[in-house]
Amino acid sequence: MSEKARDGGRAATCSSPPGLAWVRFLRNYGPIPTNGNLFDEHVSKALSRAKVQPVNLPTPWLGEMESHFRDGRPGSILVAGTAGDGKTYHLRRLWSGLGGASSKWASSASVKDLIVGQRRIVFVKDLSELSGEEGDEVLDGLERSVAGDDGASYVVATNHGQILDRLRRRGERLHRVSPLRDPIRTAFLDPGVSHPRLRIFDLSRAAKRSSMDDVLTAVADHPEWARCAGCPLDTGGKRCPISENRSRVNGSVGGGLFRRRLGDLVELSRLNGAHLPVRDLLALAANVLLGHPDAKEGLMTCSDIDRIQQNGTEDRASLYRNVFGANLLKRRALARPVFRTLSLFGVGEETANGLDGLLVYGSDDICLKETFARLVTADCLYGASPGYLAAQRRYLEGEEGARDEEGARDDGGEESFLDRLADQRRRLFFSLPADPGSPYQHWGLTSFVYAGDYMSLTDATETKKAVDDGARSRIVCGLNRVMTGLLIENADRVFVAGSGGSANARVGTLCDTEIPARKTQGVGVSIRFDKTTQRPCIDVVVAKGTSPVLLDLTPIRFEFLCRVANGALPGSFSNECLEDLFAFKVRLLRQVEAARRLSVEDAEEEAQEDSGALDLSFIDINDNDGHGALRRMTVRVPV
Amino acid sequence: MREPISDLKEEDSFAVDEHIWGHRLYDEQLPHLIFLEFLGVLESNKGSPLVEGANGRANYRPRRQMRLRNLLFNNPFIEQYRSKSMADGEKWEKWEEAFRPGAVKVGDGDLAHLRTAFASFADFAKALDVMRMSAFEANSNKRWSSKFVFPFGPDALYEDIRVDSKGNISNDRRFFARTGEVLYLMLCRSANAATLGPQLVSRLFDPAAPLNRLARALQGDPQHADKSRDTGFLPHRHLPRFDRLCDDWLAILSRTMSATDAVEHLVTSVGLNLLLYFLEQGKAAAHDTDPVEFVCEIISKERSKVRVLSGDSWQTNQAISLRAIRSSIESVRALPEWETARGSADAAAACADVMRGMFQWPPEEMATDLSPEDLVTELIDAAESRHAQHFGRIHAAWSRAIGLSSRRSSRRTRYAPNDRLLKTLVVTVVEGRMEFGEFLREIHRRYGIVVGEAEGARLVRENLVDQEALNDNAARLEARLLSLGLLRRLSDSCSFVENPFYRDGDAT
Repeated sequence: MSEKARDGGRAATCSSPPGLAWVRFLRNYGPIPTNGNLFDEHVSKALSRAKVQPVNLPTPWLGEMESHFRDGRPGSILVAGTAGDGKTYHLRRLWSGLGGASSKWASSASVKDLIVGQRRIVFVKDLSELSGEEGDEVLDGLERSVAGDDGASYVVATNHGQILDRLRRRGERLHRVSPLRDPIRTAFLDPGVSHPRLRIFDLSRAAKRSSMDDVLTAVADHPEWARCAGCPLDTGGKRCPISENRSRVNGSVGGGLFRRRLGDLVELSRLNGAHLPVRDLLALAANVLLGHPDAKEGLMTCSDIDRIQQNGTEDRASLYRNVFGANLLKRRALARPVFRTLSLFGVGEETANGLDGLLVYGSDDICLKETFARLVTADCLYGASPGYLAAQRRYLEGEEGARDEEGARDDGGEESFLDRLADQRRRLFFSLPADPGSPYQHWGLTSFVYAGDYMSLTDATETKKAVDDGARSRIVCGLNRVMTGLLIENADRVFVAGSGGSANARVGTLCDTEIPARKTQGVGVSIRFDKTTQRPCIDVVVAKGTSPVLLDLTPIRFEFLCRVANGALPGSFSNECLEDLFAFKVRLLRQVEAARRLSVEDAEEEAQEDSGALDLSFIDINDNDGHGALRRMTVRVPV
Repeated sequence: MREPISDLKEEDSFAVDEHIWGHRLYDEQLPHLIFLEFLGVLESNKGSPLVEGANGRANYRPRRQMRLRNLLFNNPFIEQYRSKSMADGEKWEKWEEAFRPGAVKVGDGDLAHLRTAFASFADFAKALDVMRMSAFEANSNKRWSSKFVFPFGPDALYEDIRVDSKGNISNDRRFFARTGEVLYLMLCRSANAATLGPQLVSRLFDPAAPLNRLARALQGDPQHADKSRDTGFLPHRHLPRFDRLCDDWLAILSRTMSATDAVEHLVTSVGLNLLLYFLEQGKAAAHDTDPVEFVCEIISKERSKVRVLSGDSWQTNQAISLRAIRSSIESVRALPEWETARGSADAAAACADVMRGMFQWPPEEMATDLSPEDLVTELIDAAESRHAQHFGRIHAAWSRAIGLSSRRSSRRTRYAPNDRLLKTLVVTVVEGRMEFGEFLREIHRRYGIVVGEAEGARLVRENLVDQEALNDNAARLEARLLSLGLLRRLSDSCSFVENPFYRDGDAT
């Protein structure tokens, strides 16, 4: 093939890996600095340059949008979401689905008309692009359409804040509140009620458990990967890190464990209220496959592979690190919502002593040798790679600089052992087998130690099965500790303790009432699934005849209650959760007050004698087992 | 000329501040004490609440509850006998022996009700613990007769008094200096008084509330002040600020919280609205038409332009009342009577008469050899120096008490609202939920609070601060509200402030 020197020969064989165009195209989805707003156009241009098939994600709502017009339903459509939710993508697909010409779509006009049968449909790609006047015209038309005018129907894509802001300014100008404001606001905050003439698709709410999975499938199982078959970079003892990452993602190596656990992280974030738009999930998927700190902008292309293999730094392409953006500069990683959200789990920083002991001493300690071999050495590429083992040896032998966090970043660019340790913890999070009996649990590597229990709880409540006793008792115990400020152990009942005065007093032994930990005759605590929030909730009824008080149980609040039940001080984990629980307590006390008034009224109705006896209950703690019980004190009050 | 004000303290031999703000506002009467004094007036009038008399005052006879307060705050003898191994009856005897000598006006032989009420001495001690825990400033070194329990109900209310070494009781108006009475008149004159009055009575004066009954058990029959008296005086027939206060209270009472929990917010609301009243009337007296503003810094680690401005804002407001005094006295010169007096034969005496009619000064006995100009200057001096003692401290004391001002991380005092104040603002202002921008606008409209760049537009125009600094300030408020569980983010540019205690529909 080539008369050149060996280097040249090598270069010639690697000069055009077969997957080059596809990988270069995929890189565009990754977290590289681009103009976010024109993302869809940017990708379309890259698509036509690379001549590859696009990445297609399922769009379940597209069908509904199309049928709205095909079935001739009246009124307009509003497509809302944050940047990256896919608003423009949906509108483009809808446009072509209804017969619009793609050339007309690509034109620069921000407001486009489409005639479908007898109907005139006005498409607004992005409300924020319009000037004040143009925006006003659109809102005017939208109001008319919603009021019953079928002259034109509208399809408008907008950010949440944009449309509410424009409606408010319009309202100020016209001195009347727009009829659009309330239905839109309600749809954003409490979905479920729909307006007959205004169909609102909030793409921020479209995310489900399967969203991350769909994205990973669309990217890792894309047909274009077939081009990589037979690539010289991946044969004959050489392993291409991109290919390795891909096989771990699509399950050919390691089963589906990686996907499941990544899906868990994204789902928990969503339940905590952190919505990750589709564009961010795509960026994450691309970063997982292509991330490497030595590549340009942190993302590999095929031309980087050779160099990486020469330098022996394949282990730094570990997908387990890439999930958290460890291949990017810290500042750039944290600027992206997806990495910021995932970093809240602290994977890599959090650990349990047992696991660190295994990672550091495992290769030498007789008791740990077998486990070490099974969990670490078995993964020779990203686990006990030569680089790792060498760093471990240096660390244990106490070499200069091996213990610094900055590490000996010398000629080889060697990472310090402590950084590698963080990487191993991340790998273990995704690869520790699910074994309830094992001392090594993967959730222990995160700041959401009880996340596994939370997900079981969600499943149980959603399918109306019994809630696990352990979880229930931790919730009840946590509630007791926060409400009374005492370190009591009770899981059998909840003490609703007022603090007798200042609402912010954290300790109160005077108890207004106690209620059972399970609902009996309608009174007590129950843990059930709330359809509006799609999460479990704690439902408390303090007395017969009062309204239930609900506490939405997000993962972080569940974690908070469990930690408090296990001895953490309420103020130390999360102030926000503590405040939420105080507010819950205040609402409970209101019901207690209402119940007392009801019972006074009842007593009056039945013309009972006022016995003049006042019963006060104090919480006494049994020093032996930490259980609290009510000690009643009766006071005779002159009538 | 002007209605003379009776009941001025000895050393206050003139009335200047009173005609601007009423008789009287007082720095040492902090918002919770204002509220307690107000409750005393209300309780005495609970048959027809918030209705003033024909003379523009209200009349009331407050409780004194001497037994209750002696037992709680003039009784360090409980611990001694509590844990001793004696028979119960003996504990009671020994304790009463120790308690009686120092007790004031508890009435002879009137402690028998305690033994009937409580099954044992230990129960009695426990009851005292519970009541003491709820006290305001329980650990301060204030005199015992100025310590107050939480207003659980009518039996827990009493007025502030002074007890001298011989055990005589007098009303020295030290902590109940009539500001609560002025508050009562303000609410009487608000548009929705007829709605607020009955609600306050039913929510706050429930005799069946458990801890109120406990207070009754300790006190026995109520003890009232010897005579009833008229309240102080409020010069303004009606002001928008009165309506604001009334509506804020109605909003707080409608929330899903018990009366006990609502009290904290009612007190903060009183402090904020009265502070604004003080500053607004001060500006009015000085003919300053700009609205009152509080430029607030949401506390951050770095020093920013907003911190400097919030300190300046505090200083500006601090200076308002002094200007008002001056202006008010100098306004006498514009009166036609003054002109006539100056032109008259005995100008000095005639002018002195005019002054007397306006300010109850100079006193008749004083030598009238002062020229008219000297009269004015002399009164200004006296008024300014008296002002510095109490009225001049109101702004500093009240703004600190409600959590609006702070000296954290800074040498100067500035406006930096704390979590408690923010909570009260949300509870009062937000009906259900409100966009964050709307919330900022509303707290500016109602209370003059400036946090973000829309409300601080004037500051930006005058090049005192740039938009970005104010935007950062608003973003910090967002983060703060989020950590208090009062905010929900929809997306980067869109968040909603949520009131967790808002109730849709009818009250239970």
